[in-house]
Amino acid sequence: MQIEREIVVPAPPDEVWEALTEPERLEEWFATEVELDATPGGEGVFRWGDGEERRAVVREAEPGERLVLDWEDDGEVVLELEEVDGGTRVHVVETAPDFGTALELHALAWTPVR
Amino acid sequence: MDAGPIGPDRIDRVFSALGDPGRRSLVMAVAARGSATATELAAELPVTRQAVAKQLLALADAGLLRARRAGRETRYEVTPEPLGDAVAWMVAVGADWDDRLARLGGLLRGTAAR
Repeated sequence: MQIEREIVVPAPPDEVWEALTEPERLEEWFATEVELDATPGGEGVFRWGDGEERRAVVREAEPGERLVLDWEDDGEVVLELEEVDGGTRVHVVETAPDFGTALELHALAWTPVR
Repeated sequence: MDAGPIGPDRIDRVFSALGDPGRRSLVMAVAARGSATATELAAELPVTRQAVAKQLLALADAGLLRARRAGRETRYEVTPEPLGDAVAWMVAVGADWDDRLARLGGLLRGTAAR
């Protein structure tokens, strides 16, 4: 099971890639505190304002094109970039983690920080 | 019948079990009665008892129905939890990505304007 979202942003793929992979940029839209080594095998730690923390391992990183993260709870996020008229299409697919106990944690961890 | 942990596989089974109109109407029929056996359902539907029994088994495998022995028959009732898990996950994670991508779009719009 998965969710899929898409947005076209008015910036070239290279710039979007920075926003997806540089911790200080990620802290502007994804999580409150980010550590990330955006190379295959690299690790990521994402913390949110409510104290929640999620860890991930980078499975794929093709600059300007595709980033795949494996969450430690078995969920997965695939981010794909495509250059289009007026900017870059960002396509997101998140696949369900191993539910069990993770469901509540997930719902909390992913409450956006405003 | 134990449907196992609420993992991605189970969620997939839920959706694929409900992808068939015949199985959907069986779930509705069982839910409407509270509980039902293959014999009772076959009496109401234009299908054989064997066909109903097979579909009920598939629905129980997906965790959508709970089976218990009642004399020589198996009686089924609806278990709503698997659907609740799936829907809750999709709503929560989808909403989080909506928020995140809106922030990302705003961020890159800002840099593009500079």
